[in-house]
Amino acid sequence: MDSSPANRRFAEDIGVKFPLLSDWKRKAVKDYGVYNEATGYGTRATFVVDKDGIIKHIEEGRTAVDPTGAYQACNLFEKKKAN
Amino acid sequence: MLNRSASLLLLLVTLAVSAFAQQTTTPAPPAAAPAPQPAPPRTHLKVGQPAPEFTLTDTEGKEVKLSDFKGKKNVVLAFYVLAFTGG
Repeated sequence: MDSSPANRRFAEDIGVKFPLLSDWKRKAVKDYGVYNEATGYGTRATFVVDKDGIIKHIEEGRTAVDPTGAYQACNLFEKKKAN
Repeated sequence: MLNRSASLLLLLVTLAVSAFAQQTTTPAPPAAAPAPQPAPPRTHLKVGQPAPEFTLTDTEGKEVKLSDFKGKKNVVLAFYVLAFTGG
């Protein structure tokens, strides 16, 4: 929902090394079911998607800030690759 | 942490809005009971389903699609609302 220029400043401030995308039109939040109509903004959520485009892990709410669940889901990819 | 997997890509979608935008200048009637907080929305998506396609703009103004990574990289998609607050 932030503009790309605002995101660029945010990315510079926190030094991210991954793409920081703007959902200005609130389309992705709606498609992913994490848009709160009552408040007008989204909820925090993390989705892990594999190379085939399939959702492998979903974390919602306050725990989505904690990357442990996503990290574990990513480890599954590593194990799968090793097998 | 994510350096372990070179094939992993983290996409951060910021959905920050000003926390002040929701403030109201009209005080609630003193006798009114506090309105129950609606439960935050839960996604209709399930593990095992295809992730919905999106086209979003990165910090350089370049369009990024989920399908750009299909067959190439696993993707961690983080919806990070209120990115500019301490919450």
